[in-house]
Amino acid sequence: MTDAASTAPSPDVSRMGGWRANLPAGGGTAAIVAGAWLVLIAASGIHRPDFLSHQTVLAVSFTMAIVGILAVAQALIGMSGAILDLSQPTALVLSGSVVAWLLERGVPVPVVVVAGILVGAAWGLANASIIVFGKLNPIIVTLATNFIGTAVMFLIFQNAQAPLKSGFSDFGRTYFLGLPNIWWPMVILVLLVGYLVPRSRYGRHMIAVGGNRFAAQARGISLRKTRFTVFAVSGAIVGLAGVLFAASNGPFAPAVGATYQLPVIAGVILAGVSLAGGRGSIWLILLSVAFLSTVPTSLVFFGFSSNWQAVFQGAILIVAVAIDGWRAKRQQR
Amino acid sequence: MTTIRRRSIATMATIALALAASVALSGPAQAFKLGMAVGGDTCCDWMKAQGDVAQALAKQRGWDFVELSNNADPAVATKNADIFIQDKVDAVIEFNGRAEVNPVLAAKFGAAHIPVVTYDIAQKGFYFVGIDNLAAGIAGGEALGKIAKDKWNCDVDLVLSSEGAGAGIVNTWRTGGMRTGLQHICPDIPQDKYISFEGNGQAVVALPAARDVLAAHPDAKKILVVGLNDGGVLGAVQAAEQLGRADDIIAWGQDGSFITGNNVDPHLAGSVFYFLEGYAVYALRDVIDPIAAGKPPAVKDDAGDPASRVKPCPVSAEAAQKIPDTAGRVAALLAAPAGTTEFDLFCPKS
Repeated sequence: MTDAASTAPSPDVSRMGGWRANLPAGGGTAAIVAGAWLVLIAASGIHRPDFLSHQTVLAVSFTMAIVGILAVAQALIGMSGAILDLSQPTALVLSGSVVAWLLERGVPVPVVVVAGILVGAAWGLANASIIVFGKLNPIIVTLATNFIGTAVMFLIFQNAQAPLKSGFSDFGRTYFLGLPNIWWPMVILVLLVGYLVPRSRYGRHMIAVGGNRFAAQARGISLRKTRFTVFAVSGAIVGLAGVLFAASNGPFAPAVGATYQLPVIAGVILAGVSLAGGRGSIWLILLSVAFLSTVPTSLVFFGFSSNWQAVFQGAILIVAVAIDGWRAKRQQR
Repeated sequence: MTTIRRRSIATMATIALALAASVALSGPAQAFKLGMAVGGDTCCDWMKAQGDVAQALAKQRGWDFVELSNNADPAVATKNADIFIQDKVDAVIEFNGRAEVNPVLAAKFGAAHIPVVTYDIAQKGFYFVGIDNLAAGIAGGEALGKIAKDKWNCDVDLVLSSEGAGAGIVNTWRTGGMRTGLQHICPDIPQDKYISFEGNGQAVVALPAARDVLAAHPDAKKILVVGLNDGGVLGAVQAAEQLGRADDIIAWGQDGSFITGNNVDPHLAGSVFYFLEGYAVYALRDVIDPIAAGKPPAVKDDAGDPASRVKPCPVSAEAAQKIPDTAGRVAALLAAPAGTTEFDLFCPKS
């Protein structure tokens, strides 16, 4: 099938994700985040030389793994113009609990992994159905489905846990090349999605719809189809996060996914993904999430209690939103 | 005359029928109505089970039962008190982890003359039923201290405390009590070896926080963990496992949530069971049954002199394997003779 978008000129590259597409705007963001990260590492290392240890690398990379994957899923939603998927916490725990449930019943791990991803995709499709057919605001719909999903899970179970004595759980706490096993799927995903978004047809459609839905529709891009695709893919990615979450965590209750919401949204905005849609680099998520994941570890080395983490992450989110707003105004001029 | 007699008989028959009908319609005397506000925190199986056990015991007695959830939210707890009062319950059992609102609840129930049992969190005017949290904490700390003494001769590099500040005074009693108990056995552990972090009583929250603390103490090789409950302590254990330091850590939990069954972390050395789901046995036996019988006991609202005291039961991981999980314990408790407690049924004798 040849749709209009395939033959139409490519979307404005300055509004696309990817390495080339984000220069110079993405390059500026990368420089700011990288600079802040290096300053943080240097300050922590000077204050406590033992900060620069393999233990710190492990602590930061374990934190990065789930947050990074969720941030990729959230970035796709943002770039497509749907602003945010606030139901990610429920999708994460739903997928993780299905994984734990299947493993307890002896289902082979590959089947379980696929099931976890499909659960996430199904959740995304359910969200998309309500949004598209109800013509409702995505952020309100996902807020509501998050509440509903969490409440329904509470009716079914109080705690879930993958079998501790299993290869699956071993995978969640061991390493490959000195870094956590669960960190590598995150890196691969960021690189893969970051490569595909500006280069694939669906990726270009997503950015076009996020940038200007009316112009995209005029060029023959189906808003409905794009929204279904984005939510399904994003949901599947959250499902993958749920699989790794179940592998790397102990017992979890239905509401625990909410702890990821703040660092994920901060990571997405800090990576320069515009919540207004149509702009952002997936690859920069690696940098923003690395920075945000270093903050809590660094705070402990400086002697701050863990209660301060949310304070700093919230402050960083505000700064990131301010930078995003400033950048948008500058582009308008 | 005959007509008058017939009319009298007819009138009397009508009255008798009306009385019989009204008795039939009104049924037996109005049943005793027990209200229960469960904690509604999302951390643990036992919170829901507390309501299930109370409901089953109320049903055994032929009482009406109304269950509401406090949702771990002080505003909801206050609203629930109003609902119980409007519903004219005869007595209430409260498990309200958000103790700051308990004086408000006490004022409301006091004005309505409704007796209240509180689990574990003392409130003036409420019958206190529960564990002595401080004693439970100390018992757990002493049990952990004995292991540390046997294994490391109390030469400990780090003592992690997985706090749960939201639990307020209960956290202070349990987690602080565990440190006190540990100091009873190992008095020479320096104060700067004790490090606290916020675990919120949940493994998923405690894990990243503990991971950072452990990373900040890379040279610690002999690590002990205490905390508010099993979940918070498990987070620290799993953090050590992720950092390749699982063999450096020994943990002892509280509440026994995650030490039964076949999916227990091998580095959780033990826990202190309170058999929280079975508190209703104590509450009904010592407080609510006498109230229902019209002989309310004197209000004992002090945790030190409670209306009914639940005994803590420190159990090693090995011994815990013989204790059923929450659902199994609830089933056994409800099948046991009236008044039997889970301590009687499951706490190892030694």
